[in-house]
Amino acid sequence: MGAAPASRDVTSYRMGLAAPLALFFLVFFVAPLLQLLWLSLHNDTAAVHWGLGQYLQFLTDPFSLSVLGSTLLLGAEVTAVCLVLGFPIAWFYQRVGPRLQTIIILIVLLPLLTSVVVRTFAWIVILGRQGIINATLQSLGIIDTPIKLLYTQFGVVIALAQVQMPLMTLPLITALGRIDSNLDDASCSLGAGSWRTFFKIVLPLSLPGVIAGCTLTYAAAITAFITQSLIGGGQMLFMPMYLYQQASTLQNWPFASAISIIFLLAVLAVVSVFTTLGRLSRGYGGA
Amino acid sequence: MIMNRRSLMTTALTLGAMKAFPGLSYAQARPLVFATFTGSWEEAHKAVLVPAFRKANADAAMVLDPMLSVDQIAKVNAAKANPPIDVMLHDPGPALVAIGQDLVEPYPVEKSAYYKDLIAEAQEPMGPAPFFQVVGLTYNPEAVKTPPTSWADLWKPEFKGRVGITNLNSTLGTGWLVEIAKMRGGSEANVDPGFKAIEELKPNLAAVAANPGALATLFQQGQIDISPGNFNAIQILKARGVPVEFVAPKEGAIAFKTTIHIVKNSPNRELAFKLIEASLTPEVQTTLMNPPYLIVPTNSKVTMGGEIARVLAKDTAELKQKFVFQDWKKINEQRSAWIERFNREIKI
Repeated sequence: MGAAPASRDVTSYRMGLAAPLALFFLVFFVAPLLQLLWLSLHNDTAAVHWGLGQYLQFLTDPFSLSVLGSTLLLGAEVTAVCLVLGFPIAWFYQRVGPRLQTIIILIVLLPLLTSVVVRTFAWIVILGRQGIINATLQSLGIIDTPIKLLYTQFGVVIALAQVQMPLMTLPLITALGRIDSNLDDASCSLGAGSWRTFFKIVLPLSLPGVIAGCTLTYAAAITAFITQSLIGGGQMLFMPMYLYQQASTLQNWPFASAISIIFLLAVLAVVSVFTTLGRLSRGYGGA
Repeated sequence: MIMNRRSLMTTALTLGAMKAFPGLSYAQARPLVFATFTGSWEEAHKAVLVPAFRKANADAAMVLDPMLSVDQIAKVNAAKANPPIDVMLHDPGPALVAIGQDLVEPYPVEKSAYYKDLIAEAQEPMGPAPFFQVVGLTYNPEAVKTPPTSWADLWKPEFKGRVGITNLNSTLGTGWLVEIAKMRGGSEANVDPGFKAIEELKPNLAAVAANPGALATLFQQGQIDISPGNFNAIQILKARGVPVEFVAPKEGAIAFKTTIHIVKNSPNRELAFKLIEASLTPEVQTTLMNPPYLIVPTNSKVTMGGEIARVLAKDTAELKQKFVFQDWKKINEQRSAWIERFNREIKI
């Protein structure tokens, strides 16, 4: 046995260093969250009468549940698109020369350097009736009248996928970079084809990156108030807009708080599924 | 005096805290804060109202803190005893909420030099209306050759897939719903006919925007050709070269009073009053009526001119005749139920 005690994991650190951040979170995150919870447990807008009325109202109302459902579904769709489009970019990144790598990383990071509002407005221009897509399709003679892209679910998914893409690509690039390239060669020399190598070697080993990317993309996509409302319009209701409507326009803070708490729990549930998968994959990767 | 480590630390921390949170040190002596609206309102107030106020009040310090009505209410509500805002600006719906929640002071009418000159609809004892917002029909003259004349034109088959509206989150959306309900026999208390009308409008609807600002974008992108729209928002688009025109429908243009209020417990009550007085003067209102602002005046001593005289009203008498004012007290009673209903029923 070595000098270090066996029980001590090399990945664990002294907690003291995290104290300032922990304090910051306690004051500016946990305290407001508790206040939110307190407010949500009231039946009236003046917050006098205690009760679970707000939660009952939400959970027994098919419409509210459908808003929650469509928001979670939207996140899943955006995450899937980001994963399918982001993985090849990350894979490609690991297999090109340093100059091309710089260009790829610049392209991936570029969207992060412009504000979400600007990117979303660009998508309005792209998806509009006289936008780039419709103009191209019309000039090619594929369609006669412009197709409706703006204010559709499809439009929201595409725009959000582009807006959130860096959150998927960056963890993937890191994860793929950690894979020893000798493993590829070993797999090939043992007779596996490139697809088999990909599914048996590359994909399992990159799973931590996939999970991290999915978690980030998912969380960002479902809470993206600006993109959802600008591309989706006023009749496609997702949780952030529902929340805003109740809190701001209707001043019904207890119900808005209950919506936030339910949304938070739903998101935590999805994220914990991702982390569980991540833990399993760590076992798989190490096996 | 003995300077030990502890007292030195205390002093340093206090000074640091005062630097980091300036609100601590001058709770009483902060400058006048006027929460105007964002966008063109802020520009107009910065360029006209603030200089006029400062000129009349020996360069008194004041700050514009632009935000939405609902955010103003939330901020004042969060600190009622020591509000961070002295003067609020509100659309009719939020104004009643603010009054109902006891956030504003009655306007000292007897002290005011200009209150009595305001047209009757603008004389609100809890906070006068220095400006009107006007909602009528907006259309793209390149696509719509015969200008629309009535709200009913939105239902014409030729506008299939070309009409834009906004949801009820905005004053514009709610006011418009009430107006089309009235057109079909409803009222502020009964908007059922309005909802039926929107149901019939569905084949024509190209977009339900999340806010009136998004309508502007939709016009720019050719997504819609006709919609209910705010007179001022349209003037801004026009000035940028977007092909849009505004007409007041024959049923009457919907006029919203934009009211201005002194916040209860304001530490700058006197200056707040002075600022509101400045906003009511014929001079300020005349300047704001002229391009590029084109804000509809409420002081009857202002002579209407320019674009406002051309498309809205030549004088106060015509204005009263052509504008429709709505009963927002009634509207507020049911507004949340309507928003719920709109959420559920209007899917295109």
